[in-house]
Parts: sequence; structure tokens; C-alpha cells
Amino acid sequence: MSAVGARELPGVRMWKRRLVQLLTYVGLAVIAIVMLYPFWSMGIASFRSLEQYQAGHGFSLASWKQLFHTLPVGHQLLSSAIVTVGAIAVILVVSTTAGYALGVLRYRFSTAVFLLIVSAMMVPMQSMILPVYVNLSRIGFINHYYGAILVYAALGAPFSTFLMTTYFRRMPEDVVEASLIDGLGYGKIFLRMMLPLALPAIFTVTVLQFIQIWDDLLVGLLFLQTPELRPITVGLATIPSQHLLDVPVLMAGSLMSALPAIVVYLVFQRYLITGLTMGMSK
Amino acid sequence: MAARRRRAGILFSLPVVALVGSMLLLPIGQTVYYSFTNWDGFSSKWIGTTNYSHLFHNSEFIRVLENNAMMILAIPVAILFPLAVAFLINSHVRGWRFFRSVFFLPTAVSWVVIGYISVRFFADQGILQSLLDNTGLGFLHPNMLSHERSALIAVMITFVWSMFGTNLIIFLAGMATIDQEIYDAARVDGAGSLTVMFKITFPLLKRFVQFTFIVSLITAFSALFSLIYVMTGGGPGYGTTTLEFFAYQQAFSAGDFSVGATAGVVLFAAVFAVSMVQLRLLRSED
Repeated sequence: MSAVGARELPGVRMWKRRLVQLLTYVGLAVIAIVMLYPFWSMGIASFRSLEQYQAGHGFSLASWKQLFHTLPVGHQLLSSAIVTVGAIAVILVVSTTAGYALGVLRYRFSTAVFLLIVSAMMVPMQSMILPVYVNLSRIGFINHYYGAILVYAALGAPFSTFLMTTYFRRMPEDVVEASLIDGLGYGKIFLRMMLPLALPAIFTVTVLQFIQIWDDLLVGLLFLQTPELRPITVGLATIPSQHLLDVPVLMAGSLMSALPAIVVYLVFQRYLITGLTMGMSK
Repeated sequence: MAARRRRAGILFSLPVVALVGSMLLLPIGQTVYYSFTNWDGFSSKWIGTTNYSHLFHNSEFIRVLENNAMMILAIPVAILFPLAVAFLINSHVRGWRFFRSVFFLPTAVSWVVIGYISVRFFADQGILQSLLDNTGLGFLHPNMLSHERSALIAVMITFVWSMFGTNLIIFLAGMATIDQEIYDAARVDGAGSLTVMFKITFPLLKRFVQFTFIVSLITAFSALFSLIYVMTGGGPGYGTTTLEFFAYQQAFSAGDFSVGATAGVVLFAAVFAVSMVQLRLLRSED
């Protein structure tokens, strides 16, 4: 009796482990379906005309064609690209220089400066966007790319500065000292030594900000108001209301606007995840 | 030498200080100032706390505050789901990277697109209704977007859905910081996997629970503008108007900039207050 029990026990345990594993996979698969189904169904719907969509079968490119008649898709994609790339460029300049100053050089009040910049992260965008809007409209920056670029850059700067400073803090002090002895100035040290070392953090900031800015609505809505200047996400959100019932066109537009950010995510997700988890290291 | 280093440090700090100072910090001050005036976007006159007393005597604004309070209720759900799944994935099932990528996908998609997806799901003749019809529950007609309370619940469900991946990643990162030896030691002492979970993993993850709470709160209070804009436009009635949406609406639809600024200050105060309460709660358990 006891011998049989002893022989059975490992078998039962293995069986139990397999069952747990199976249930785990079933659970994960169910969640995966809940996460992916909307995107899959978005794709299917976009390749149907309105009639086909209502009938539930058939495929055509009619809705994609309709989308290009409804929105200036080309202009808006270009607009998204200009604003996103421009803002990222500004963010990289201010956050790497800040990271170098606050993380490596450090001076008497650098911690205070760091805290001041980072504290802006806690303030909701809606709590400051009204004065920003009025200030920029006073100097004629509304409806120009540079206005929107400036706003996005400012909104992205605190978190990027936080990431860069945390990253630069880990740079060895000897690098600076050795370069000083070699006769390099602080500017050259930054360009030649620090920037190459900071590449991983630069990638992370770029990917995070790309997705953030590409996907944003409010800033584009307020600061770029004519349809041709609107970024694609804004164009999609402000699609003329008579098209709101045309689900396939909406889905085609959604797919079009989401695709660049999804591609960036799929290719660079490693950096995105590092960025997100780096935010917790302190 | 030290002076040169200091000068370089200050010089390299200037760009970020100028940008953040002029575009974020100064405007925050302006928002606070304008909330005590009758600002219309052009001129302003000091009127003391009139905006605040008007707002807090306004039943629509009370409704907006209620909506924000309701959103807080979604946060525990948005934390517990990914926490549970993080436990599943952390036992290193094969292919967990694939699942992680899939779960995180909505994070890369704009709230505008998520809003359209969500409308399609919750609409009267939408996917939810056809799911109900196909499972013999067709007698139910939730039509969630047409009623104030259920529309807010639809927004909350969408929020939980799209926060799932972000919070999951945070918990996975948190679990990776736990030393494997602690687990081994516990096993040797005869602790079962449930005991390990409640006695070791949970307490060690507290910091990360806190972090997901703050991230979820800031998202719920100040990043759902686009979702609400596309999904419900704040309606029906004021059913899904949260503080951030109210601030926008007052300024840009009603043209009342000072009320928008006042709502912005209340929003900031609310984020701050809830974060503090939450930090206090978790700390008192120590």
C-alpha cells in the first residue's frame, strides 16, 4: 500500500503541474484574444465597404479609398512626422545636456534644479495648457509647426530629463578627469565622450516620445487647427461627423494612424520597456 | 578649474530650464493666478475666490467630481488583474515574451483609436450586443453609451483594458528584482506556493503597487481626454465629463477661461491629494 503510494506520488505531482500549466496557458490565451481581437476586427472591417460591413461578408478597398477622400491623409501623416521628429530633436538636446549637467557635472544647486524640472511631471497637462495656449497665440505661434513642436518638447522634457540624469549619474567620473587632462573642454567631453555612452538612453527617450507624441490629441487639436496641418491622430479624432457612422472608414483611418506607432513599438519594444522600468529605479 | 566646471554645469542646464520654465512652470503659476480672476483669454480682473465658490455650488461640477471619484474605483481593478497575470507569467511559462508583447500593445495605440474601437464595442448595435445575442443573452440591451452611469463604466472598462499591459510590465520588472534565494529558502522551510505569494512576493512588491497606483491615477485623471473626446464627448449629459475634460470644455467650448483654469487647479489638487492619501495608506501598514 505504502509502496504504491510512494510510486504514485511523483506521477500525481507531475499531472498536477501539467494541469496548472495548461490552465495558465488557457488564461493567457484568453487575455491575448481580448487584447488582440479589437485590432484584428479593425483590420477586417477596414477592408469592407459599408454595405459589405453591414452584410458581414465580402472584401474591397472601397473604405480605404473613401478614407483618402475624407481626410488629407498624406498631409496629416507628414504633419505627424514633422511634429514628432521636431519635438524629439528638441527633447534630445535639452535632456542630454541636462543629464550631463545634473548627473555628471553637478553644481551647488543642481539637485534643486533637477527636482524643479522633475516636479513638472506631476502636473496634469490640462492644468497648464490654457495659459500655454494664450501665451503662444499672443506671439503668433498657433497654426505653425514650431508652436506644436515647442509644446510637445516641453511636455516631454521633464520625464526625459529624469531618465537622462539617472542614466548619466552612472557614468564613471574618471572619464571626465582623464579627458580634462587630455585637454578636452567640457563641451567636447559632452560631444565626444558622453553622447556616445548615452546612446541606449537616447534610444529609450526617442521611442517613448515617438509613441507619446504620435498618439496625442489635445496639443494638436489646440495648436494646429487647419485640416492640412493636423497630425493624423488629430485628423482622425476630428473626422467630419457625417462619417462617424461609416465604421469601415473609421477603422481604416484608425489603422492608418496607429500603424507607425505600432511598428515603432514592435521593433523597439525593448527600449520602451527599459524606459518604463527605469522610471522606477529611484 | 572648479569654477569652469560649475559654469559648464549651469550652461548645460540652461536649455531645459528655459524650456520647462517658460512652457510648463510659468503657465502653472498663471493657471493658479487666473483662477482668481475673470480671465477670458485676453484680459483679467481679480475677483478673489468667486470662481471656486461658483464651481462648488454648481451641481454639474459636483457631478464632474463624482465622475473622477468613480474613476478611482477602476484603479484597484486596473492593478489587480495585471498583478495576478504577472504571477502566472513570472513562473516562466514558455513564450512569455510573446504574451508580454501582446498585452502591452494597447499602450502603443492612441486613445483616439482606442476610443473608436471602444465605441464600436459598446455601441447599441455594437460587438458587445452581438456577443450577447449569440450567447442567448439577447434580451439584455445594455446600450451602455446612452446612459450616464453605464457610459462612465464603459470608459472605466476601456481604461482598465488599456492599462493592463503597462501595469503588467511594472510588476514583472518588480518581480525580477526579488532575489531568487529568498524563494529557495522559503521552499526549504516548507512554504507552499500560496504562502510564498502572500508572505514574500506581495510585501516585496508593495513599492511597485504604489508605483502602478500613481501611474494609473495620473492616467485616469489626466490622460483620458482623447478617449472621452472620441468615445462620448463627455456625455450623455455630464455622465463622462471628468475634471480634465471639464477644464477643456469650459475654456474652448464655453469660452470661459477662468473657470477652465479653476478646474485645472482643482484637478492638480485632486491628483496631489489622492497620491498623498495613497502613500499614507500604504505606509501605515508597515
